[in-house]
Amino acid sequence: MNGSEISSVLVSGLLLGSIYALMGSGLSLVWTTLGIFNFAHGAFMMLGAYVAWTIGSGEAWGLGPTLGATAAAAALAGLGCLFEVLVLRPFYRRKNLAMLTVITTLSGMIFLENSALIAWGPRIKQLSPLIPGTVHLLGVAIAAQEMLILIVSPVLILLVWLWLSYSQTGRAIRAVAQNQDSAQLLGMNVSALYMTAFALSAVLASIAGILLGSIRFVSPTMGDEPLTKALVVAIFGGLGSVLGTVGGAYAIGLLEAVSNYFVGLYWTPALLFVVMIATLMVRPSGLFGRS
Amino acid sequence: MTGDLARKSGRELALLALCLVVLLALPSLITGSYGRHLLIVSLVYAVVAACWDVSLGFAGLFNFAHLAFFGIGVYVSAILSKLIGLDPWLSILLAGLFATAAAAIVSLPVIRLRGIYVVLVTFAFGQLVQQIVLSQAGITGGSQGMVMVPALHLGSYNFARDQKLAYCYAAIALLAVSVLLLRWLMASPLGVAMRAVRDDESYAAARGISAARTHLLAIVASAPLTGIAGGFFGAYSRVASTEVFGFGTLSLVLSMVLLGGTGTLYGPILAAFLITFTSEALVGLGLWRFLIISAGMILVLVALPGGVASIPQLFRRKTY
Repeated sequence: MNGSEISSVLVSGLLLGSIYALMGSGLSLVWTTLGIFNFAHGAFMMLGAYVAWTIGSGEAWGLGPTLGATAAAAALAGLGCLFEVLVLRPFYRRKNLAMLTVITTLSGMIFLENSALIAWGPRIKQLSPLIPGTVHLLGVAIAAQEMLILIVSPVLILLVWLWLSYSQTGRAIRAVAQNQDSAQLLGMNVSALYMTAFALSAVLASIAGILLGSIRFVSPTMGDEPLTKALVVAIFGGLGSVLGTVGGAYAIGLLEAVSNYFVGLYWTPALLFVVMIATLMVRPSGLFGRS
Repeated sequence: MTGDLARKSGRELALLALCLVVLLALPSLITGSYGRHLLIVSLVYAVVAACWDVSLGFAGLFNFAHLAFFGIGVYVSAILSKLIGLDPWLSILLAGLFATAAAAIVSLPVIRLRGIYVVLVTFAFGQLVQQIVLSQAGITGGSQGMVMVPALHLGSYNFARDQKLAYCYAAIALLAVSVLLLRWLMASPLGVAMRAVRDDESYAAARGISAARTHLLAIVASAPLTGIAGGFFGAYSRVASTEVFGFGTLSLVLSMVLLGGTGTLYGPILAAFLITFTSEALVGLGLWRFLIISAGMILVLVALPGGVASIPQLFRRKTY
């Protein structure tokens, strides 16, 4: 393995890690705040890509990729609010909340995927990149769009983290996550904060979808595979904190790239699973989680 | 007290015998090949859903690897009977054994975990099995799946003959045996321990019940009949496809358990029939069918927290 191979494995690992981090941070935000694991997160990602395609692509409305991305983020914020009210809110007071919402978010995912199939048809689409062309990173030629993912993902996550740490609303969301009852006693509007956190995670998903849809394809089931990977990431890093999930995402991304190189594509998922199990045996709440 | 229980149990057995008579009569009433296909599919799903309820409902474990046990059953028996040339009946039994071994493996991390992490690990296990099946295309056919899986025979009689009549009776037998075994399991000390750990783990521990041991045995006990149902389904449909590991099949069977009512033996069985036939009745609607089913699932969970099995209780509460 020479220098250029090392750097190409490194770059592909960072790229995978960036995508997983963007997916995982949204899942983790919802988990810490609402106590729900959202299986429809991959479907949100897919819808973000489709809305961006419809508004932005020359084959549809043709208003350009920037407007398309903006419209997608706005649409997914709205959908996130609607989803929270219809699919999650009725169950907050039930004792087996986590369990019930697994099935309702799975149902939501099937609803959204089939809606997309009805609305856009089975033919796969591709988003035009926000930035065309190629650039060089560590001596590896990559698409400018991939470079964009490498930058946008950590910056976005940092912004979300700063917002959660220092803004009034962000701190309120963390307060609700820690203790719902006392947050409510202090006069915080718990249901509005739940909705905000969920909508924010849907927006993060839509951005992940737009970024992924321009380096891979846009199809109704495009979110399934990243969702599965985000599961592994969430277990590995621990769902308890957004930053823990991000750490897990980059670790898994790099591990996957290294394993793809040495072990091959076929056995990499099995290897990731074994690593995940081994992690859980030692640290049951994830590598960076607090037990 | 014991007399009361015995009378209750006697009434339950009588009701079960009545259900069995109705089921045995069904193949003579439903004579078309398609109607019988739906009957067989319902029966297989009923077994899978009822077994899933052992870990999900009775032990209260969020085990999402159950469909993987079913899929392992489908593929193991298909591989053994088609590629190795074993007798299909023996392959089906071995499928149950392999599914049980898989359950033992997946239960090792599960017994150390709680809540959502159990969901994630078991879910990931299902995805892993699918990945392995997809990657070993030389054996499993990859994304194409396996076709021409050997059918079941008794002597020279092919079970598919006479509009699948023999498959109907074999599936009924499978469900009947499953119900008897599951009833026995639930009445056994292990079944009681499962419910005890689910309802109050610390109290159960104080009474000397190990939660880890009970959880492990619950998952393992849910697997053999599931694997056998998988092997039977593969021999019946003569196809093994990775669809059994997908989100669609998972949520279909999960909805049977949840709509039927977790922690009830007969609820998921009833729901398996209800959902299979409803889902087929809507098949003319194309993709809209999935929208109706998924939206309906959420609605039922909002309106009926205890599943279909809780409807009688609802009425009872009103009259008292």
